Amino acid sequence: MTKRKLKLTDISKGEDTQLIDINIDEMMPLPPPYDKVEELRGFKQLTDDQRERLVCNLDGVVSYAALPKPKNKEEEKKYVEQFVSGLKKLLSKENNWTFLQPLLLSIDYCAQCQTCCDACPIYLASDRNDLYRPTYRSEIFRRLVNKYIKPGGKLRAKVTGGDIELNWTTISRLYELSYRCNLCRRCAQSCPMGVDNALISRELRKLFSQELGWAPKELHEKGTVLQLAVGSATGMRPNVAIDNLKFLDEEFSEATGIDVSTPWDKEGADILLIHSAGDIISFPESPIAFTILCNAAGLNWTLSSEIPGYDGINYGVFYDDVQLAKVATRHAQIARKLKVKKIVMGECGHQHKATMTVADRVLTGDLNIPRENVMTFLENIVFSGKIKFDPSKNDFPVTLHDPCNLVRNLGVVEPQRRILRYLCPQFREMTPYGIDNYCCGGGGGLSVMSDVNFTDWKVFVAGRMKFKQILDAFSDQPGPEVKKYLCAPCLNCKLQFRDILDYYEAREHSGIICGGLAELIVNAMVDIKNPYITWEEY
Amino acid sequence: MSGIFWHILVFGVIGIFLIVIIYRTLAITRLPVHLRWELAPIPHEKGKGRYGGSYLEEYEWWNKPQHRSRMAPIIYMAKEIFLLRGIWEHNRALWPLSFAFHMGIYLIVVMLLLSVMNAVFIIAQVALNVLNVSLGIASVFALVGYLLGSVGAVGLIIKRALDANLRPFNTITKYFNLVFLGAVFVSGAYAWFSSPDFASEMSFFIKGLIALDAGVALTFSLSLHVIISLLFVLYLPWTDMIHFIAKYFTYHEIRWNDAPQDEKMKKELRGLLAQPVSWSAAHVEANGVKNWADVTSKKTSDEKEA
Repeated sequence: MTKRKLKLTDISKGEDTQLIDINIDEMMPLPPPYDKVEELRGFKQLTDDQRERLVCNLDGVVSYAALPKPKNKEEEKKYVEQFVSGLKKLLSKENNWTFLQPLLLSIDYCAQCQTCCDACPIYLASDRNDLYRPTYRSEIFRRLVNKYIKPGGKLRAKVTGGDIELNWTTISRLYELSYRCNLCRRCAQSCPMGVDNALISRELRKLFSQELGWAPKELHEKGTVLQLAVGSATGMRPNVAIDNLKFLDEEFSEATGIDVSTPWDKEGADILLIHSAGDIISFPESPIAFTILCNAAGLNWTLSSEIPGYDGINYGVFYDDVQLAKVATRHAQIARKLKVKKIVMGECGHQHKATMTVADRVLTGDLNIPRENVMTFLENIVFSGKIKFDPSKNDFPVTLHDPCNLVRNLGVVEPQRRILRYLCPQFREMTPYGIDNYCCGGGGGLSVMSDVNFTDWKVFVAGRMKFKQILDAFSDQPGPEVKKYLCAPCLNCKLQFRDILDYYEAREHSGIICGGLAELIVNAMVDIKNPYITWEEY
Repeated sequence: MSGIFWHILVFGVIGIFLIVIIYRTLAITRLPVHLRWELAPIPHEKGKGRYGGSYLEEYEWWNKPQHRSRMAPIIYMAKEIFLLRGIWEHNRALWPLSFAFHMGIYLIVVMLLLSVMNAVFIIAQVALNVLNVSLGIASVFALVGYLLGSVGAVGLIIKRALDANLRPFNTITKYFNLVFLGAVFVSGAYAWFSSPDFASEMSFFIKGLIALDAGVALTFSLSLHVIISLLFVLYLPWTDMIHFIAKYFTYHEIRWNDAPQDEKMKKELRGLLAQPVSWSAAHVEANGVKNWADVTSKKTSDEKEA
């Protein structure tokens, strides 16, 4: 990377010049056979035309092609004013009661000890590039707040040093930089003061979204907006979702030899199960495995075909409180209408965080319907004694990825491990694991973002530490002749792993495939005659 | 300097310190309830805190009693405050200096408390051997505290100036704070070595303050130390160095706040959801009049799309 020692004030200088270049040679090395950089596909560089059209003044990566470029000084001034207006709203009780206390404490009490930096997998994977320090964007944000919002701020900034100019360059770079964070909160976990740099990244995203209307299209326009309008961020309308699952029911009935039948819109059911609709399209084995398990356990359960009751994702948790609350409220309204006793989420980390905890204080009154995490739900099925298992059917190396939102943020750590220890004889942990895990690199909504050359950044930089961890977990049997299963009980993590494994051809070189937990459970069922996990199809 | 000068100075500074600290603490407590943002490990989760688990691991957790440990959070915070566990685990290179710096502060605080106790002993005419033991302990705490604090402060100033990891984030304020606190430690060490019996001198000074004795007088070295210390106490509550207060909230009210809604919270939430929203982006559909409940909740449609 060309410019390693960045100053905080560099953020506002150089207009359209990139702050850094990304060079794979200089990143944290991977184990063989992935250490030969010359054999890997290169980082997708922007074309001259793209450089002309797009805002690409951070690191040569563009996550949002539609970010507007000001045409003249007046427009630039308008954006600066909007940004300052957003800062004021972030610090107001009326507009940001949702996170005001955590935000103010994180702004006011950072000791600048840099203890958090080595907790960040992106910073480490980039060989400690200053731009990716958890504190780099936070300190810039902090200084802007202190200068432009607090009384006497401009004078104090000049006197005490560290004066950062607020201009178009600062704003556009801060926007991009807020999407170079996985919101995994490893930094917050390591902070002795309890300061939360990931929260600051999210508050920045929120300012851009709720005040300027800037957000990655995959999260907003084709994310929460589409989900609330047609039912799912995949674009699936209710009738299509039902048709797709009916088709999958039939196909898997044939493949497994047992009747697979998914119930829809059953009023008075005990359980409303809300999958991420992306699983229906990208990982259909997952929702079908749930159908098989729920039916085999004799549960009274249902899916909903009401908008957006069949898609549990809530990208609002990544960038926008209003969208977060809208989606969570709709899910709760649907559960209330079906008169279910509880909501259970599919294998999706951020869905859990959004529905179980973050939105807990938005779902008031009769919308506060009990919500259960999927790992505990599956554990209860596995150990209920209603289904017979043969763990020898899972006698291949298995490792577990801990989705940050489920584990570090919710404290759901052991149920999934009890299942794996029971059903997978060759289960092994990664290092570190549990609440100390590393993010897959797709956290914070990044896994679904793929504009311009953003996928390359996710794979090369954000996902690098995790890929190394996975390889290390299987280092006793590194070759492709031994089939290995990376259990990732989260749709977003699986999407990120699919990109990583595809890019590095890890299936071919190392025999690694990725899937969820429910599939492993079904694979071990005595009643399922053919292997549920068919290595060729992953 | 003698007479009531010291009384006015000391009690005035303590009064202002307490007023500002209380005001800033109340300002934090009066911030509205926020959305849940907990972060593992949460030590009060009995039986689960050690591996970072939570009550959400329980099947139908809402039907089960929550088992909360009172001691585990105290032990967790004690390790964090007195041993700087976070820095030890995540930033080992910084730990020796930071530990010396903080331990210096703690020892000086304990020395002051002992000195107050000794002053009371003097007024109450407690047995001389008891007083002597207490004075001896205070003297050792003072010496070790001042020396550790001086080493820590000077070391941190040098580290901040030379360490490429810290340097880009330095401001004049950060240096000033370290220099100021360093001056407290160094002047304290100077006073200790200049005095034939530092602990007695300090205790008699405090006795004079408590007893409203108009004849309170100090040596030059101790006067210098007391004045620098009082100026620091006056400055402290206005700065981010009151993170010893903020830390309670970042841990207990944010990281460890996993409380489901209760009646008091429900009432507060109803009020917050009734507040007007004025975010400008089109999708928020706010106009400064619509409230949070309006912008986040749409009526349920009973009809499915064909």
